[in-house]
Amino acid sequence: MVKFVKVIPIATKVGTVTIKYPYAKPLVTDSFRGAIEVNPSKCTGCGACTRICPPKALSMSIEGETAILRYFIGRCIFCGMCADVCPEKAIKITKEFELASEQVFDLYVDVEHEVVTCKRCGSKFVTSRLLNKVEQKLEEFPKELLYLCPRCRRIEMLSKQTYLR
Amino acid sequence: MESLSTSSEFENLYSYLKRFSDRLVEEEDNLRIVVESEKLREVAEVLSKTEGVFLRTIAASDERSVNGFYKMYYVFGIDKIHRNIVIEVPVDSSDPVVPSITDIVKAADWYEKEAHDLMGIKFSGRTLYKFVLPDDWPDNVYPLRKDYTVQDLVKLYRPEIVTKAKEVEAEAAIIIPIGPYHPALHEPEYFELYVRGEKVVDARYVGFMVHRGIEKLAESMKYDQVPFLAERICGICGFVHSCSYCQAVEKALKIPIPERAEYIRSIVLEIERIHSHLLWLGVAFHLLGYDTGFMHIWRIREQVMILAELLTGSRKTYGLNIIGGVRRDIDRDKAKKCLQVLDNIEKEFKNFVDAAINVPQIKSRLRRTGLLPKSEATSLSLVGPTVRGSGIPRDIRKDYPYAAYKYIDFKPVVRSECDNMARTEVRIYEIFQSIELVKNFLDRIPEGDIAVDSWEPEPYKFGIGAVEAPRGEVIHIVITGRYSPYRWRARAPTYQNLPAIPIMLRDIELADAPITIASIDPCFSCTDRALIIDISSNNVKSVPLNILSLKSSKLFR
Repeated sequence: MVKFVKVIPIATKVGTVTIKYPYAKPLVTDSFRGAIEVNPSKCTGCGACTRICPPKALSMSIEGETAILRYFIGRCIFCGMCADVCPEKAIKITKEFELASEQVFDLYVDVEHEVVTCKRCGSKFVTSRLLNKVEQKLEEFPKELLYLCPRCRRIEMLSKQTYLR
Repeated sequence: MESLSTSSEFENLYSYLKRFSDRLVEEEDNLRIVVESEKLREVAEVLSKTEGVFLRTIAASDERSVNGFYKMYYVFGIDKIHRNIVIEVPVDSSDPVVPSITDIVKAADWYEKEAHDLMGIKFSGRTLYKFVLPDDWPDNVYPLRKDYTVQDLVKLYRPEIVTKAKEVEAEAAIIIPIGPYHPALHEPEYFELYVRGEKVVDARYVGFMVHRGIEKLAESMKYDQVPFLAERICGICGFVHSCSYCQAVEKALKIPIPERAEYIRSIVLEIERIHSHLLWLGVAFHLLGYDTGFMHIWRIREQVMILAELLTGSRKTYGLNIIGGVRRDIDRDKAKKCLQVLDNIEKEFKNFVDAAINVPQIKSRLRRTGLLPKSEATSLSLVGPTVRGSGIPRDIRKDYPYAAYKYIDFKPVVRSECDNMARTEVRIYEIFQSIELVKNFLDRIPEGDIAVDSWEPEPYKFGIGAVEAPRGEVIHIVITGRYSPYRWRARAPTYQNLPAIPIMLRDIELADAPITIASIDPCFSCTDRALIIDISSNNVKSVPLNILSLKSSKLFR
């Protein structure tokens, strides 16, 4: 038999391989990384995820009285680095991949946090949940320093030291 | 690893170089020598005349803030003894001129043009023109210099399209490449073929339509973010880039990575090779008008894609590499599943390719077309299946062993016919070889950690990371900085292989041009349209490449 005719029995045996998507599921394996999900009750708003995120899909901003951790799916590359670095394990990698939408707003997910203002200069510098957490961890930390922003805290510390000398 | 006799072959070269300059550093696998620019040509001459020495890459770096000058790094590799010779040439910061070595080392051509465009280094003794940057790029703005941040560059560059948009009072402007730059299958590219009748006389390539400036971008990103950027250099073989980058940083900072991580990297690299070669084979069949072959090869390939997703979490852009190791382990279940899938692929592929490659049209279109003589392949320092199809056993896995390839023995697949068929056969047999390698790796993989706990960056260290990608050697140079890479130079295999296309196209039938261009497996992949310039009648016409390709197949019907 001419060798190339072998294609015919191969094709007959294989038949149709196209999956009847979206009726036949699942399309993805157990390891698949899709969009992420931030658990608002676990998130402290520390911003670790925004610092590692390669495409800057996660960002932190302060709007009025609230700090917002914003996840923009449109930029996400589904690498899952955020979930790796999250100290609270608040980020879960889902298998969600059907993410297209007619409204761009649908691609934004916000987690809102209450912010703490600096007792001296009045700048908003940290989420209250993160501050509480730090407070619990550091038992002997002077209370008056805790509510100062990093800059004012530095000034306070330095002026104290000068005084001591 | 090497016997004494092979290294003594290069003893003369080494003692010559050592006499040449007293400023030299011997590292684990590099010999780094500082050479003044007046003496560069002399050194290049000696290196180019020594058999077995290939140019691997060239990088220009702006080190004015560190030591007051620019620096050129010329990386020559001696495959046989697995070592590099890095020639470092300091370049005056007020008058950055270096003698050109393109007439001595042919492969240096593109690198010099690129260094001129992006770093503003001038090369005496040759003509230079805009190569990478667009025509409307402002003069005397050299983006890779440290004077500019990415934000500066975005502000500085006002493409002509913006002014035009204002003229016609448009709100926004979008460039849609239709016509000669048609990204039908993958990426844009552009060839001019000069013909006499149906015979190709010469060819010219115009590229860099989508230069993304990622080397610059990486300088503002953190070390652990760059692998994900590197992975996006190529949509087909991205893992090799993140691997090379990580290896370069690990070499520079001497980070010892766990053996298990090395094995996992190698396994995934081979799986990527299998999918990439299958993809190419499918596209090649399609170009030759054998769409049945295209469909079946891609059907077989789909299993590899699903397997990759199972092992890494994604079909492509695996996101597996970080500096110091990998992010996901391959457990027993996955290993078992992997073996099953590979067995199935091996059986199916063997069965099918045996039939497909014997189709008379395929055979006759591939045999004796796109000839690439061994001598030309050597002088251009070509890489990958392109060079192995011309009888030269260059394979980075063997020549500069990395990851788990140093623990395993195998022979590079070589064919000596120098034609399109030879390059096709190299890829076909490499698929079988890769399956064999993955099985071997899975068999030998040791227990242990998959990444180091932590590591510290140290500025101004130099590291080279190279990986044998499906298309050939990928080589990255990293000069470390405090928080981000200070300079990162990525060189993909197509960069090295493209200059071979005009040689392969010379004197062939016009209809064989598409498969010949595709035979180096160019990373930008299949062109859709080519411009044909008929020298005798001065007619210019545009023809979609696939139609051009079909012309010849019809002769058989």
